[in-house]
Amino acid sequence: MKKFTRVSAIAASLALGTSMAIGVTASHAAGTTLTMIAADYPGDGSTQQAQWTDFATRFHADNPDITVNVTVKSWNDIDQYVATQIAAGKTPDVVNKGDYSAPAAAGLLYPASQMVSASTLADILPTFLNNSKYNGTVYALPDLASARALFYNKDLLTKAGITTLPTTWAQLTTVLGTIHRKLPGVYGYALPLGPEEAQAEFNIWAGGNGGQYYDYATSKWVLNSAANVATATYLKSLVSKGYTEPNPDKCDRTACAQALFAAGKAVFINGSVFLGSWLKANGGAKINFGTGSFVSNTGHKAVTLGVQDYFTAYKANGNQAAIQKWMDFIFQPANYAKFLVAAGGFIPATKSAGAKAASDPALAPFIKLLPNAVFYPGDIASWNAVKGQIQQGIGQAVTGNPNSVLNSLQTQAAAAK
Amino acid sequence: MSVATTAVATKPLRKRFNAGALPWIGPAIAVIVLMVLYPAYTMIKTSFMNIDETGTSHGFTGLSNYRTLFHNPNLVPVLERTLIWTVSVVFFTVIISLPVAQVLHAKFAGRRLVRYALIVPWAASVVMTSTSWLWILNGYYGVLNRIMLSLGLIKDQVQFLGSPTQSFAWLILVAVFVSVPFTTYVILAGLTTVGEDIMEASTVDGASGWQRYKHITFPLLRPALLISMVINLINVFNSFPIIWVMTTGGPGYSTDTTTTLAYKITFRSADIGQSASMATINFAIILVFIALFLKVSRWKEND
Repeated sequence: MKKFTRVSAIAASLALGTSMAIGVTASHAAGTTLTMIAADYPGDGSTQQAQWTDFATRFHADNPDITVNVTVKSWNDIDQYVATQIAAGKTPDVVNKGDYSAPAAAGLLYPASQMVSASTLADILPTFLNNSKYNGTVYALPDLASARALFYNKDLLTKAGITTLPTTWAQLTTVLGTIHRKLPGVYGYALPLGPEEAQAEFNIWAGGNGGQYYDYATSKWVLNSAANVATATYLKSLVSKGYTEPNPDKCDRTACAQALFAAGKAVFINGSVFLGSWLKANGGAKINFGTGSFVSNTGHKAVTLGVQDYFTAYKANGNQAAIQKWMDFIFQPANYAKFLVAAGGFIPATKSAGAKAASDPALAPFIKLLPNAVFYPGDIASWNAVKGQIQQGIGQAVTGNPNSVLNSLQTQAAAAK
Repeated sequence: MSVATTAVATKPLRKRFNAGALPWIGPAIAVIVLMVLYPAYTMIKTSFMNIDETGTSHGFTGLSNYRTLFHNPNLVPVLERTLIWTVSVVFFTVIISLPVAQVLHAKFAGRRLVRYALIVPWAASVVMTSTSWLWILNGYYGVLNRIMLSLGLIKDQVQFLGSPTQSFAWLILVAVFVSVPFTTYVILAGLTTVGEDIMEASTVDGASGWQRYKHITFPLLRPALLISMVINLINVFNSFPIIWVMTTGGPGYSTDTTTTLAYKITFRSADIGQSASMATINFAIILVFIALFLKVSRWKEND
């Protein structure tokens, strides 16, 4: 009996060892296996997993020697997941997410010219390719884009007796004041400066005052520029008058601002192309909303924020030929259309799909705003780090001291690698 | 304790290493090496390396990560807050658990039910508990706001998790809430070791209830108290889910502790090296805590 248990103990520890060994060695079968990590776009509770599985299955049928495994990750997890995979030596072949400059700077990426065939590359809109460069070379392919518009609750505006939309900061202050007086319990503007997407909200406001995050002329971060400080000071005045929700530095876009708008408790909000479908899926189906252009300070032009995301291809596994076939497959017009539908109503990044989108009533107002779009400085290698710092800190510029908060962010940005 | 010592002493002393034990302790050693020592080694190594946000390593950089960390404007406030956090949570937990354990030790109808009820917050996942509290305290739809409004205690909705000071106080409250059950049970176990005979003898000698507690029960509870305090100290110091779920350390960095700060430095500011040095310092602090308490507890044993 005793001997028996000793033997089984040895067996158990051996089994432990072997199972680990198997975990490490299982890999290449015949042919090429591509790994792809993709962010999950839909905000309405659906997922893109089915679309990617369908793509991978059909692609494998056409190319029996290439297998594609697509892992779909939420936007909250994907940056962390990709970094962990790379650190663990399991670099993916293709990634679909919101940034590219850091891996491009680290020399990990194939240039776009090697990611797709020349004909596919020629179909992609040059504006978006321009935002995908690092040191003059295009290192990423835009997958899609979104733009923001000022959404407003028509019924609440009528109730408050407001007939003209504000276009300047001064007009906006007056309008918000009227709402504050006439509609107790309703916030004029939902200001989401919580960590989820503070960088987007502030960028739009600053853009309407001639401010920006990065100055390409001097190649410097300019977070504490006079225009940005003035923007934060103006927003702070709205907050302190009670024209926004309290504690905007805690207010995340989805759980706080969009939820307030869906509940009919906020009149104005910065919304993306997908806000309409999000409202339907999140209890705001009855909200009678309109979209318009953002508000700017006197003497400045109103801007919108254009956000584009990217496909990037990593060199680590040397699968360039297979990657190119796969990327060409994704950008085939019929497949690309399916991708856009699964992602949920974004602005396409190709000329062929763009022509169709211009006549789509849901997308047309956003496409109209695109010429005035400002983009994140996504081509600066430290953008991702600076973005994280802005998300954490910039909300306090409108609840605390605008000057010192922006100065502190500037110091951190200048130190970011 | 003395019983165990005698039992060991009567056994013949082993003179040489017994290889026959390896199959049994092997898996345990393997787990410790793979799951504890190796990650700790990697963490400390990483803190001396230059790793960019893509996860690519650019070799050793000496103390540069530590230098960046010491220049991080958030470090000092976060260290101070971590101290307040740990000390106050452990203090309030013990202060509440002592009388609760005393009540549960007394014989009354339904005691078993009450004891079971106390397990619930302990058995529930901390993330679940924190999420419940997050919604209880919600400034727009929270049930606490609803109740206080109905009772006329407040005139307008309160953003309980809005201001840094207030949300930090709520975090402490929730941390105490999830720590009390475990601590109570350890103290309760300690109480069962206090002999009935001593209590009877002291009653005969005319000791009052409070005197018996102060001079007999409490001194005998010291080992149980120490154990629960060490374990709580480590748990609370390293606590991540409560803070992360309820405030994500915000607004800004105003409710971060060293644990959540380390996480933010990696996954928000994309600085893996600096984060590893924060984690290494965290690790060092906790080792000091443990060493201190081991020393104190051994001193008590020899007393």
